[in-house]
Amino acid sequence: MPAVKIKRASSTVDMTAMCDVAFLLLTFFILTAQFRSQDAATIETPSSISGIKVPDSDIMTIGLGRDGKVYFGIDNAQNRIAMLDNIAAAKGLTFTNNEKKEFSLMSNFGLPINQLKSYLSLPKEQQAKVKQPGIPTDSTGAAPTNELKDWVFNARKANNGLRIALKGDNLAKFPEFKNVLATLQAQNINKFNLITGTEAPPAGWKAD
Amino acid sequence: MAEINTGGGGGKHDGGKVRSKKASTRVDMTPMVDLGFLLITFFILATTLSKPSSMTLNVPDKTKTEETEPIKASNVMTIFLGKDNKAHYIFGKAANEDPEVKTVGYGYEFRQALQENAKKVGGEKFVVVIKPTKQSTYKNMVDVLDEMAITKLKRYALVDQLTADEKKLLKDKAKLDA
Repeated sequence: MPAVKIKRASSTVDMTAMCDVAFLLLTFFILTAQFRSQDAATIETPSSISGIKVPDSDIMTIGLGRDGKVYFGIDNAQNRIAMLDNIAAAKGLTFTNNEKKEFSLMSNFGLPINQLKSYLSLPKEQQAKVKQPGIPTDSTGAAPTNELKDWVFNARKANNGLRIALKGDNLAKFPEFKNVLATLQAQNINKFNLITGTEAPPAGWKAD
Repeated sequence: MAEINTGGGGGKHDGGKVRSKKASTRVDMTPMVDLGFLLITFFILATTLSKPSSMTLNVPDKTKTEETEPIKASNVMTIFLGKDNKAHYIFGKAANEDPEVKTVGYGYEFRQALQENAKKVGGEKFVVVIKPTKQSTYKNMVDVLDEMAITKLKRYALVDQLTADEKKLLKDKAKLDA
């Protein structure tokens, strides 16, 4: 009588199902997500119950850091170059093609115009280390030292359809926000969006 | 890999024909799964999924002044956004009439105060004036504007200038150096 042999179970796991799931998820992520842009500063926005989404394109973002620094950015690389050309012409500066290309890759920045050129010529790794001092503003919104107004003006000159979004940090103090507000109002911009996180409305609340 | 070759090997069987070795039809998917999850991880880390929402803010035109009928102080609730996430409000009286200053935190307390006062005045006459002070933060302002959306009060104004009376009032009663 031969010895009873235990049938050995196959140790191979069928990976097909797992593979299916992995690629399904992958497809989902590729289709829904958009790439995170490298920002000049991290800004933690407050949350609101507003359900309006920030538009995808034609948007100008004015950031307000927790230390009160102002950052500025527009969305399209072509428009960024046009904006830089406009502001260079207005301020009597010249930028090389390389600098323009560098600039077109920056989603936002917080530098006075006179520091921009030296920043753009730095290699990538060093750019990240530079502490950006923020764009100069003032409380009246129209002083010659207010560079935010020049950026806003020239950005709108480059692309007239730009909508304006303000992205402020939780801890930014109100006077700094007021400076930005004054700058916009001085140019007769009276309607803009405040970027906020999403928060659930109280129970029973319905939008009109 | 952890696979035991169970496929029928070739070789000469007793008196049988010479068969070619049968290739296994099973493909090892492990590397493909690895790759799939690697890409998923990459996409999760490098992208943002939820788009932030935004609230619209309309401010009055500074270049034009419109004549509007004066608003009765008895219908107005003036909210001062103070420091340390506290708001102070006066209701029904102007700052020079020695009104009572109440202090609330943001959130539920604040909403209750708004709703109570709105009920007292009733309907469309109720006006809220929001005056952020220098100590208040951007978050405070967004919170208040959000409360306005929640309580569905349509008549409110964001005013960034405090009058001398109001400054004095806040200093005396709320210990707030506006």
